[in-house]
Amino acid sequence: MTVQIDPEGTESKYLHRYAEFERGTGRVLEVGCGDARLTWQYANAARQVTGIDLETDDLRVALIDRPANLAQRVSFARADAVHLPFKSGSFDLAVFAWSF
Amino acid sequence: MVHALNEIRGVLAPDGLLIDLRPLLDRWPVEVAWSDGYQEAGRATDLEEPRADDEAANVAMTHIAGTGGFARERQETFPVFYYWNTPKEMQEYIAENWDDVIRIDEPASTDLRSLWATANADARVRLRMKLLITRYRISQ
Repeated sequence: MTVQIDPEGTESKYLHRYAEFERGTGRVLEVGCGDARLTWQYANAARQVTGIDLETDDLRVALIDRPANLAQRVSFARADAVHLPFKSGSFDLAVFAWSF
Repeated sequence: MVHALNEIRGVLAPDGLLIDLRPLLDRWPVEVAWSDGYQEAGRATDLEEPRADDEAANVAMTHIAGTGGFARERQETFPVFYYWNTPKEMQEYIAENWDDVIRIDEPASTDLRSLWATANADARVRLRMKLLITRYRISQ
């Protein structure tokens, strides 16, 4: 069973338009990153990306899929959005991505 | 969820941004698409529980834009397509991943199979999902 998701890249276009990466929104927290399908659509434009999720299987897939050139900039953690283990002011942008 | 949004506000820098990106159930069209066109076969049926989740999310986001320390800057909806090679693959994917979200009832399912069977050789089936994107900025 093969699914192709958003080959037109519409989601990525909207995300870039809204994120203002060019204005310095360099440190990104992605809440509910899952397997990082969305992360890879903008990670090149960000300075630092931290993806969090509670699903360990998805986080494992995200790590395996992480391109070598993004290893220093993109990290993942198992964390709950109601108890974020980060200091105040750590991020310029939070992406709250939902899915079914 | 409001608690999570407050947590997010706490880790954002002054003038930080929050992007809320999520699918919105809206009886998503089921279509057959080929290289230079498409035709709608019917609509998916939304299930009750995720519809309630949509409403709860709307309430929470309205709250943060009101008293929760964020100001809403812009908002749009846009389509995102999921493609499969055959109607059977689509049905299997929905059964495996979204069985508590949507279903494709008859006659949409029958119409989809008929349309696909008689369409161009490169025809695929697709679901036109509706996404909502909203940008909030920390209010001072």
